[in-house]
Amino acid sequence: MTLFDLVFRSMRKNIKHYYLYFFALIFSVTLYFVFATLQHDESVVERSGGSMGAAFSAAGILLLIIAGIFVVYANAIFLKRRSREIGLYQLIGLSKSKVVRMFMLENILLSSGALFIGIGVGILVSRLFLLLLMKLIGFDGYITVTFSTSAVLQTVLVFMVIIAFTSIQMLFTVYRNTLLHLFNADQKGEIPKKPKSILSAILAGLGILLIVFGYWLSGNMMNDLLFFNMLLVLASTILGTYLLFRVTIGWVLYQVRTRKQGHLGLNNSLSIASLMHRMKGNANSLTIITVLSAMTLTMLSGSYSLYYATEQETRYSFPFDFMLDEIRSEELPEDMISLAQFEDALKAEGIAYTKSKLELLGVEGEYKNTNFPAIIGPRDVLWNSYMINAEQLEEAGLDIGIPEADTIIYHEAQLGVFVKDLNLPFQINVTSSEPHRTFEVVKYGEGDVYNFSTGPQLVVNATDFERYKKEMAKENFLELSPEWVVRTVYALNITDPKQLPRASEIYGGKESIYGEDFYSIYENALRESGLLIFIAGFLGLVFLISTGSILYFKQMTEAEQEKQSYKTLRQLGFSEKELLRGIVRKQIFVFGLPLAIGLLHSIFAIKAASFLFLSDITVPTVIAMSAYGIIYLIFAVLSVGYYRKIVSEAL
Amino acid sequence: MNEKNIKKTVLHAQNLTKSYGTRGNVQDVLKGIDLHVDEGEFVGIMGPSGAGKTTLLNVLATIDRPTLGKILIDGDDISRMKDARLSTFRRDKLGFIFQDYNLLDTLTVKENILLPISLGKVKKLEAEKRFIDIADILGITDHANKYPHELSGGQKQRTSAARALINEPSMVFADEPTGALDSKSAAALLKTMEDVNKERGVTIMMVTHDAIASSYCNRVVFLKDGMIYSELYRGDKTRQAFFQEILKVQGVLGGDSVDSI
Repeated sequence: MTLFDLVFRSMRKNIKHYYLYFFALIFSVTLYFVFATLQHDESVVERSGGSMGAAFSAAGILLLIIAGIFVVYANAIFLKRRSREIGLYQLIGLSKSKVVRMFMLENILLSSGALFIGIGVGILVSRLFLLLLMKLIGFDGYITVTFSTSAVLQTVLVFMVIIAFTSIQMLFTVYRNTLLHLFNADQKGEIPKKPKSILSAILAGLGILLIVFGYWLSGNMMNDLLFFNMLLVLASTILGTYLLFRVTIGWVLYQVRTRKQGHLGLNNSLSIASLMHRMKGNANSLTIITVLSAMTLTMLSGSYSLYYATEQETRYSFPFDFMLDEIRSEELPEDMISLAQFEDALKAEGIAYTKSKLELLGVEGEYKNTNFPAIIGPRDVLWNSYMINAEQLEEAGLDIGIPEADTIIYHEAQLGVFVKDLNLPFQINVTSSEPHRTFEVVKYGEGDVYNFSTGPQLVVNATDFERYKKEMAKENFLELSPEWVVRTVYALNITDPKQLPRASEIYGGKESIYGEDFYSIYENALRESGLLIFIAGFLGLVFLISTGSILYFKQMTEAEQEKQSYKTLRQLGFSEKELLRGIVRKQIFVFGLPLAIGLLHSIFAIKAASFLFLSDITVPTVIAMSAYGIIYLIFAVLSVGYYRKIVSEAL
Repeated sequence: MNEKNIKKTVLHAQNLTKSYGTRGNVQDVLKGIDLHVDEGEFVGIMGPSGAGKTTLLNVLATIDRPTLGKILIDGDDISRMKDARLSTFRRDKLGFIFQDYNLLDTLTVKENILLPISLGKVKKLEAEKRFIDIADILGITDHANKYPHELSGGQKQRTSAARALINEPSMVFADEPTGALDSKSAAALLKTMEDVNKERGVTIMMVTHDAIASSYCNRVVFLKDGMIYSELYRGDKTRQAFFQEILKVQGVLGGDSVDSI
C-alpha cells in the first residue's frame, strides 16, 4: 500500500467529520474570491470612484483574518481528535517524517480541493453577487463581470499561506508530542476542582462587575475622553467576558451542584457535570466566540439599520422632494436652476407634481430652562433658526399637527436620539422684534420640516405666525437683504415615485441654497449603506459559520469522548429520549451562552452607537439579531443530531 | 437466608438461542439454553472464551435480544418487551457491575451511585437513606465526594456495585467484576458481594473466567459452545472444596481455565 492509498483511505473515512469544515473552507474561498474580483473589477471601481475597491480589499483582509483563525483552530481540533491515529502510525513503525508527509498530503489535497471548488463556485456566482450588490445600492442598469486572473492568483496565494500554516501545525503536533501524549490527548478532560471559595467568589463577581461597568460606561461615555472611554469599555467587557467563562459560570454551576448534595439527577449529570468537566479548557474559545459574535452582531445590526433607515434618515433632512427659492432666473448663478425653469422642464416631460408655498421667518432669540444633552453642549441663543407656519406645512403634505397659541413644535433632526433627553416644556424667547415674545415649546417633532435645514425650526400656528411676521422689524433680521426677512420657498413633491429619478435628473444635481434634492442625496446614501450591508452581511455570515462550526466541532469531539458514558447510562436503563433531554440542555448552554452574552454585548454597543442614527433602529436591529440567532439554532440542532447518532449507536 | 421451602423464581430462561450474522453466514452463539435462577441465589457463569458467557449475560440482562426463546424475570416476559419498556425495566429491576467499572468520570461517587434512581419515584429522603446504607456496607462512605479518578480500582468497583444495588433490583448482573482488580481487592469485593447476597437476599448472576471468583457462588453454571455443559452446587461445602471442584470441571472443559493459585 502506498502513501497515497493510505491518505485516500483515511480521507474517505474522515469525510463525515470534515464535511462541515470543507464547506466552511469553500465558503471562505468563494467569498474571498468574489471580494477580490469586485476589488479588481473596473466597472465597479469606476462606478464608485474608487471607494468600493478599497472597501472590498479591506473586507478581504478582514475575511482572511477570520478564515485564518478558523482554519487553524479547526485544524487543531482535528489534530487532537486524530492524535491516537498519529500515535498508532508511529507505533507500527512509520517514521515521524512519513507520518507528517501523510498528514500534509491529506491536508494539501483537502485544502486545494476546497480552493479549487471555492474559486470555481466563485467564478459562477460572482455575477450573482454583483447583481445583489447593484440591487442593494439601487442601480438598475446592465452590468457584466469580467473574469479576473489577478483575483484568482490573489486568492490562491493567500490561501496557500493559510495551508502552509496548517501544515506547520501538523509538523509540530507530530514532532513535539510523545507517543504517550498522543494516545491520551483525545480523552483529556479536566477534573472538576473544588473552587477556592473566596478567591473564586471574588473573581466570579468581578467578571460580572466588569461587564456591568462596561455596559454602564458605554451609555455614559460622551465626554472629552470619548476615545479613552471606548477603549476602557472594550477592555472591561472583554476581560469581564473572559472571567465570566473562566470563573463565574464554573462557580455558579459548582454552587448549584453542591446544593444538590449528590442528588444530581440525569439531566444535570449530562449538562452541568459535563460542562464543568471542560469549562477551563473551553474558557478561551468561548470568550473569543462570544466577543466575535458580539462584534459581528454589532456590525450586522448597525449596517442593516443604516441600510434599513436610509430612506427615513434622508427624509428627516429632506422632507420634500425638491425645494426652491422664488428667485427670478436672471439673478441666478450658472449652476443653479430656477423654479420656473424646473417647472417647465417637469411639465414638458409630463411629470405630475404638487407645489406648495412656504414662508420661512428668520428669527433670533434665546432658550430658557433647557437641558440640552452634554454631547450637544449647553445652548442659550437661537442659531440659524426659522419660524414656520404649521398650516402651510400641512398644505405641503407634512402632517405634524397644529400647535396651540403661543406654543411651538420644535424640529431639529440633527439632535437625533438625544432629543429623548430633552425635558419639555421649555421656553424660547424670540427677540427679533420689540416687544420680545416668549413661546412655550411643548413638543419635539421628528425630523426637519424643510430641506437641508441647518438649525432649529419653530413651528407655530397661522395666527401667531402672521402676527409675528407683522411685528418683526426688518432691520432685526440676520444679515440678508430686506426682502429676505420673509423667505418664500416652494416645496415640490412628485406625485408618482417612479418618476422621481427622472425629475432628479432634470434638476441635474444643481444646487439651490437648500442643497441638492431628496433623491440624489438618497441615492448616494443608499449606495454607501448598500455597500456596507453587502460587505457586513457576507463577513457576518463567514464569522457566523466559523464560530458556529467551531462550537459544532467541539461538540462532536465531546460527544465521541462521552460515548462510553452514554453506553453505561443506556445499560443502566436510561432511554435515548431521556439522555437526549439532558444533552439538549447542555447544547442550550453551549450555544446559548455565547449567543446570549454576545447579544447582550451588542445590544449595548448598538445603543452606544445609536447617536449615529437620526431614526429609531429597534426594528432592523431585532431583525438582524433574530437572523443571527436562527443560524446559531441550526448549528445547535446539527449538534444535537450528532449526539443523537452517538447515543443511539452507543448500545 | 430465608429458609422457605419453595423459593420464588426470579429468572426463567427457556430455549434461549442467539445467532449473529446474515443468512449466508450464520453463527449460533447460544444454542438453546434453559436456566432457572431462584430468589437469593448467587450464580456464576463460567466457560472458555467464545462459549457465549457474555452474550448470555447480555441477553438475560435485556441489553441484547435473543433470536429465539423466552425470558421471564419476575414473571415479566422481557423477550417481548418494547425498547422503551425494557429501559424502564432495566432501571427498576436490574443492577449492573462491569469489568471496567463504567463510572461517569464527570460525577462524584455519590452522584454516580444515586444516578439510577434519579428519574424514578424514589423521594430524596429515601434515596439519601439508601445511599448511606449501601455506602456503609461497601465501605465507601468516606469517598462519597471524590471523583472516580481519585479512587483505586477496588474502590471504583465498590462504587459500581453500590450503583447496581441502589435501586434494590430483583437481580444484579456482574460481568467479570474482578477482571481488572488485584487479588486482594478482588477478594474483598467478592466477600462483600457474598455478604450482600446472604444478608440482603440479593440475587446475583456473575460471569467470570476466574475459578476463585466463582467459588464464592452458590452455584456455577458451565457453558460450552453455546450450551450448558454442567452445573455445580456448593451446598454445604467449604469454599476451598468448591473451588477444587470447579477447577476439575474447568480442566475437562479446557480453554482459558488454568489460573495459578
